[in-house]
Amino acid sequence: MDAIAQTQRKVALICSHGGLDEVYPSLILANAARQSDIDAMIFFTFWGLDAITEAKVDHLHVNLAGNASNTMPTIIAGLPGMESLAATMMEKQMRELDLPSVREMMGILEESGADLYACELAMKMFKREKNDLLPQVKDVITAGDFYDLSVGAQIIFT
Amino acid sequence: MNTAIDQNTANAILKKLDHISLEVARIGERQRQTEELIEEFTPILKEVMATATDRLDQFEKKGYFAFGREALNVADRVIEGFTADDVKQLGDAIVGILDTVRSLTHPDVLAMAGEVSQVLQHADETKPIGIMGMVRATKNDDVQRGMAMMMELLRHVGRAASHASKHKKPRAVVRQVSRLALPAAPQRVAAGKPAAAACCTPKTGPSEPATVIDGVAFAADGHLVDPNAWTRELGLNVAKLQGVDLSEAHWQVIEFARKEFLENKASPNIRRITQALGIGTKDLYALFPRAPARTVSKIAGIPKPVGCL
Repeated sequence: MDAIAQTQRKVALICSHGGLDEVYPSLILANAARQSDIDAMIFFTFWGLDAITEAKVDHLHVNLAGNASNTMPTIIAGLPGMESLAATMMEKQMRELDLPSVREMMGILEESGADLYACELAMKMFKREKNDLLPQVKDVITAGDFYDLSVGAQIIFT
Repeated sequence: MNTAIDQNTANAILKKLDHISLEVARIGERQRQTEELIEEFTPILKEVMATATDRLDQFEKKGYFAFGREALNVADRVIEGFTADDVKQLGDAIVGILDTVRSLTHPDVLAMAGEVSQVLQHADETKPIGIMGMVRATKNDDVQRGMAMMMELLRHVGRAASHASKHKKPRAVVRQVSRLALPAAPQRVAAGKPAAAACCTPKTGPSEPATVIDGVAFAADGHLVDPNAWTRELGLNVAKLQGVDLSEAHWQVIEFARKEFLENKASPNIRRITQALGIGTKDLYALFPRAPARTVSKIAGIPKPVGCL
């Protein structure tokens, strides 16, 4: 324990997908890191931006089609409304587990001291402005900035 | 009287002698025949032996004996590979095997097999088809019937497979285990290096004491082994070691955590503490900057909180 305490651990998570099932792992891992006295930062890029976008954060879907763990036939999973249905069901289960919503998680993370960053290039691609994002987002940064900020961190791509 | 008897006796003897001489003549005849036979057969036998030797030589050249030797080797290996137990099981199964063979040799089945082998013989003449070809082919009655049969076959194979996996004999497992055990597994944990995976092993029982300070046992993770051994002074000392200067706000959290554990047998995590006490996550981190829930439970003398949140 003392050996670990001497050098402060740090994790840098890259969240590149916007599915409910794809966003939560990054959030949970970052939160667990903070709870274990490990510094944490999350870099949201590409579809991951949806998780920190004000208009999208409460409507994240679950990927059904092309998901090998989904037993539903792809032809049915691709029907309109199926993803919303699956997302609703998953959200219900998460509520039963007392799992905070994505929006809530962002608040908890910021209060815990985890840093949330948005990818500048992805912002341009999706034509989003800084004020489209959640207030918890600390900054909009480039890939190069990400490396500067993640010095000494273990980088996890999700 | 004596001569008369002698006459009679002489007659009888003569008669017997006659008979004996006839027998002797017959035996002589047979002896002669046998000798002739041997005389006649000797050249034939010689011929036969010569031919036989020739044949054996040819067989050797053709590899019959090598084949035979190999066959014996195979038999040897079969015997080595099977235990007495296997043979006993084979004996139990033999009736089933014979039944299967009998049903396989049913004329209908043989006719079908014949048909199939005909197709396989001309396999190179068939043209490849795509998905549309497959769909078109399903219009054919014969193809439909064949598909139904394959489905039925699949169903039975599947049923048999699931049945077999349910009734798997432990013997097979034992063999596998012994095979796996053969190469000595290298010990990955180097001496003097703590096992990194320790945090992933679920701890169900009471934690093992690692250090004893002033007669109080602490586990390796820094938590008190016996929560009932806790005193306020002990909490103060642990807090000092953790670098936390305890204020009234700290004590509120610590006392809640102890109460929660004693009532629910579970140490509260950050979410539970913030929700129950109505304080913000940020405030909790401000009170206990380094791993709040863990620090709180260490000071409160309760186990490490479990769960991801």
